[in-house]
Amino acid sequence: MRKFLVITIPIITLILFIFVMESDIFLKRSLGKNDSISESINAVINDIQMDDWDKAVQDTNHLSEVWKKIVRMVQFSSERDEINAFSINLARLRGSILAKDKAGAFTELYEAYEHWEDLGK
Amino acid sequence: MNEGLVVCVRSIISFFSLLIFTRILGKEQLSQLTFFDYILGITIGSIAATLSTDLSSRSWPHWIGLLVWAALGFLLEYITLKWRYIAKYLEDEPTIVIMNGKIMEKTLKKMRFRVSDITELLRNKDIFDLNEVDFAIIEPNGRLSVLKKPEFQNLTPKDMNIQKKQTGISSELIYDGILIEENLKQLGKDKTWLLNELKKQGISNISDVFIATLDPSGSLYIDLYHDHMTKITDIGDYKGPY
Repeated sequence: MRKFLVITIPIITLILFIFVMESDIFLKRSLGKNDSISESINAVINDIQMDDWDKAVQDTNHLSEVWKKIVRMVQFSSERDEINAFSINLARLRGSILAKDKAGAFTELYEAYEHWEDLGK
Repeated sequence: MNEGLVVCVRSIISFFSLLIFTRILGKEQLSQLTFFDYILGITIGSIAATLSTDLSSRSWPHWIGLLVWAALGFLLEYITLKWRYIAKYLEDEPTIVIMNGKIMEKTLKKMRFRVSDITELLRNKDIFDLNEVDFAIIEPNGRLSVLKKPEFQNLTPKDMNIQKKQTGISSELIYDGILIEENLKQLGKDKTWLLNELKKQGISNISDVFIATLDPSGSLYIDLYHDHMTKITDIGDYKGPY
């Protein structure tokens, strides 16, 4: 009993803490269907390349939903600055799509992708 | 991002990690706090605080910092425990500042201690006259150990050739109204003996007793839930809110 209290509980606790702090390794991967950030970003890039602005709006909304879902899971293992930067990129992307500004939209998308890659690193 | 929730989770991680690491570091942190241990404690605490509330960076690097500092502290403790020579180098050694009643000025200067610091430390030990001191030693934790001159030392039963009864650690026989039979057995007594002892003091029920202890010399201490105190001394000066 003493061994369990003195050794096992602290070890299990530390392992659990390490898991929470490093959980982005598992949680950044797509867990279900259509919830991959990189795929969603690629979809918006394709839409803009094809000048399909209506589809780009739809895919940006989808990207926002996926982001909201994932951020809830990775927030414990990630830095706030990267999370905030990604959210700002999404807001600017909406503006660029509304103005049909291809260059601006691409800038935001690639920057968002970079922030996604750096999240939790 | 729910910042409150993240801070809450990171605080739990920080709190319990700190608890586990300080338990591994041992009791030396409290009892023999050297200047280095003091700084080590502050730094580890500061890293834990950053881990808890600095959301601009991930918790992982802060936690690793906490782990490395605790590990280095543990390593240093282990080294100083195993090798006396390195322990002297790392943790310093006791220094005599008063020898045969004479203040060692050069040693004081080397340690950057003023005489007023020594007299202050002596006063903390209830010594107001330097004439009383035979030896004074500054320990590595900064405390002063004092050996008084024989004529100023306290009189002990041995000096008076008085035989005193053997004392020891008391064992609890009743705690919070419940009989602890294990301790009773250890002392070679039984429940009947205890009930008789209680009866002698006018107590009929074990559940009336808050605590009862017995020391190896056979002295029984009993405290009841109801102490029947009619006049309770109030040490307060002004009437407060309670």
